[in-house]
Amino acid sequence: MLSIKNLHACVEDKQILNGLNLEIKAGEVHAIMGPNGSGKSTLSQVLAGNEAFDVTKGEVTFNGDNLLDLPTEERAREGLFLAFQYPVEIPGVSNLQFLRTSVNAMRKHHGIEDMNAAEFMKLAKAISKQVDLDPAFLKRGVNEGFSGGEKKRNEVMQALLLQPKLAILDETDSGLDIDALKVVADGVNALRASDRAILMITHYQRLLDHIVPDYVHVLSTGKIIKSGGPELALELEAKGYGWLGIEDQAAANHG
Amino acid sequence: MKSASTLSSAFLQPAGQTLPASLLALRFDRASALADLVLPSRKTENWKYSAKHLKLTDDMASTLPLDASVETATDMSGYTIVLVNGVVRPQASSYPTLEGLSVQRFRDLSEDDATLAADLMKKSISDQPAKAGSVNLSLLNGARFEDGLLIQLQPGTVVDQPLFVIHHTTANHSGSAYPCILVAAGNNSQLTLVEDYVSSGDSPVMVNTTTEFSLGDGANVTSVRLNTEGQTVQHMGTTGVRQQRSSRFESHSVGFGGTLRRHDLHVRLEGEGSECKLNGVVVTQGTQHYDNHTTIEHVAANCNSEETYRNIAADKSHAVFNGRIHIHQDAQKSNANMSNKNLLLTNGAEIDTKPELEIYADDVLCAHGATIGQLDKESIFYLVSRGLSRRDANVLLTMAFINELVDQIPIEQVRDAAHIGLNQFFDQAFQEG
Repeated sequence: MLSIKNLHACVEDKQILNGLNLEIKAGEVHAIMGPNGSGKSTLSQVLAGNEAFDVTKGEVTFNGDNLLDLPTEERAREGLFLAFQYPVEIPGVSNLQFLRTSVNAMRKHHGIEDMNAAEFMKLAKAISKQVDLDPAFLKRGVNEGFSGGEKKRNEVMQALLLQPKLAILDETDSGLDIDALKVVADGVNALRASDRAILMITHYQRLLDHIVPDYVHVLSTGKIIKSGGPELALELEAKGYGWLGIEDQAAANHG
Repeated sequence: MKSASTLSSAFLQPAGQTLPASLLALRFDRASALADLVLPSRKTENWKYSAKHLKLTDDMASTLPLDASVETATDMSGYTIVLVNGVVRPQASSYPTLEGLSVQRFRDLSEDDATLAADLMKKSISDQPAKAGSVNLSLLNGARFEDGLLIQLQPGTVVDQPLFVIHHTTANHSGSAYPCILVAAGNNSQLTLVEDYVSSGDSPVMVNTTTEFSLGDGANVTSVRLNTEGQTVQHMGTTGVRQQRSSRFESHSVGFGGTLRRHDLHVRLEGEGSECKLNGVVVTQGTQHYDNHTTIEHVAANCNSEETYRNIAADKSHAVFNGRIHIHQDAQKSNANMSNKNLLLTNGAEIDTKPELEIYADDVLCAHGATIGQLDKESIFYLVSRGLSRRDANVLLTMAFINELVDQIPIEQVRDAAHIGLNQFFDQAFQEG
């Protein structure tokens, strides 16, 4: 489904990704772990098409298409979804308006008629309940005044609504208390399907207690330096990153 | 080139005589001053950006006639008064019949009420030049009005539904119109007045308006002003508000650009504990021009003012906001907030914003902020990452920028009317492809 070969990317002339390789097949759940500053979020932003990042080398195919040639909106319509680490607040645009425009943009792309307002409302309400969001949030501005946990649940809600082929979850577990983490994990588990892939990006192992991945990769200085099964995450939890000969770059930079 | 120009003599011809004596007398006084009126130039501080758009040609001097055949479409239901070219058209109007509320056209006023109307106009602050060296063209209205409305609320009268005043200008040929609305709201009375400025035809015309509010103790008045006049209308509007103790005034204005749009809003908080809230939205495109000048005077102590204006300029259009807050020496414990945010949709558009603060009291809270910006890139990325087209993302974000204010308009019909105009604006400003 997703094939990343020798990916190099930089932001403002700072090289972040240095030859990253990754293969993800339909039905698989992958987790990428790594210390701060290793390039985890850059990878997710590059895959989603954020123009603030420049791809300098390498290639990415998504269901056979050259992903890097597609603008962000086309990637989304082809089924790539990114749950943002820091979803933006957009006062004045209601969640309802935003989500319906989104759903209908996807449907239009696939030659399906617009979903009418009543039908959409029913669907949106049902899914918001699934992630424990009061449906009243639909009338509020996009992420406006949301707590960190509500923002993350809204991201998962959108994934459930849009039913992507590939869902990339960027630190969707950060800032959540244990109850919210459970809700988010249940939502993500509900997404697991044989025709869908999930890529989780996380700093901590705790999310992986709830969403057990098929593969775990360790990212360091913009490259995957080790891959394994779910047991690798447990090993990292027990030993930290030090045993792999890497240190937390952000911490090192600050220290 | 002349350094200072005055009005052409065509504008000094006497206006029609069908008014009660005291209003004729007042108008005569104003007309005598008209010959000395110096027209604004780009050196006139309060017309710096707008003077070049002011074109008062001789053929505009004749007051447009009441056109009885004109169809004034209105979606507004309830109490509705229609003025065509500044003259009330009773056949198209439905006058309210509510005890304590009197709505009369100038031409029908008894001499007592006409004296009251003339007094209101004499005391009107919309008529005073805001500052030395500035030019106030509302003198033209005072000198040339042919009719108008006197709206009186007896103390304690609560008007149960909005009063709509439709100002229709027929621009079938050149000329001018001078609508005048006076509101005297007695103690503890309540009113929502909607003024809807529309036009038909596409000849160059001038619409010069006066709206004057006088609020008694505890009165609560909301003024809504919608301007969807055609491109060829030069609109110069002046609104004056005087507020007594514990009164509250709220203003919502939504304006679409034209060859010249100018609105001066001047509020005087004269009674202790009074407050005002002024919201304004302007969108301009093409080569349109829109200029909002506001003045809030804190005269008495313990008053609050809150002002929020937002402009969006597309293409090569130009929007101006000038917000002045004047806190008098005795106005201790004043609380004044002013915010002006602006969005430029293209490189060719221009927005000028200027806050002016004059503070003579020492115990006040006064905050102001003005920004000019473009759409937030992160927000666009978030929206397109959900499959929205760039155009839809731009439209949603631009609408969001002003919806916060449009949504505060307390009347659904006006919000709907504003949205229809705004949607057209966005369709043109963000054409597909």
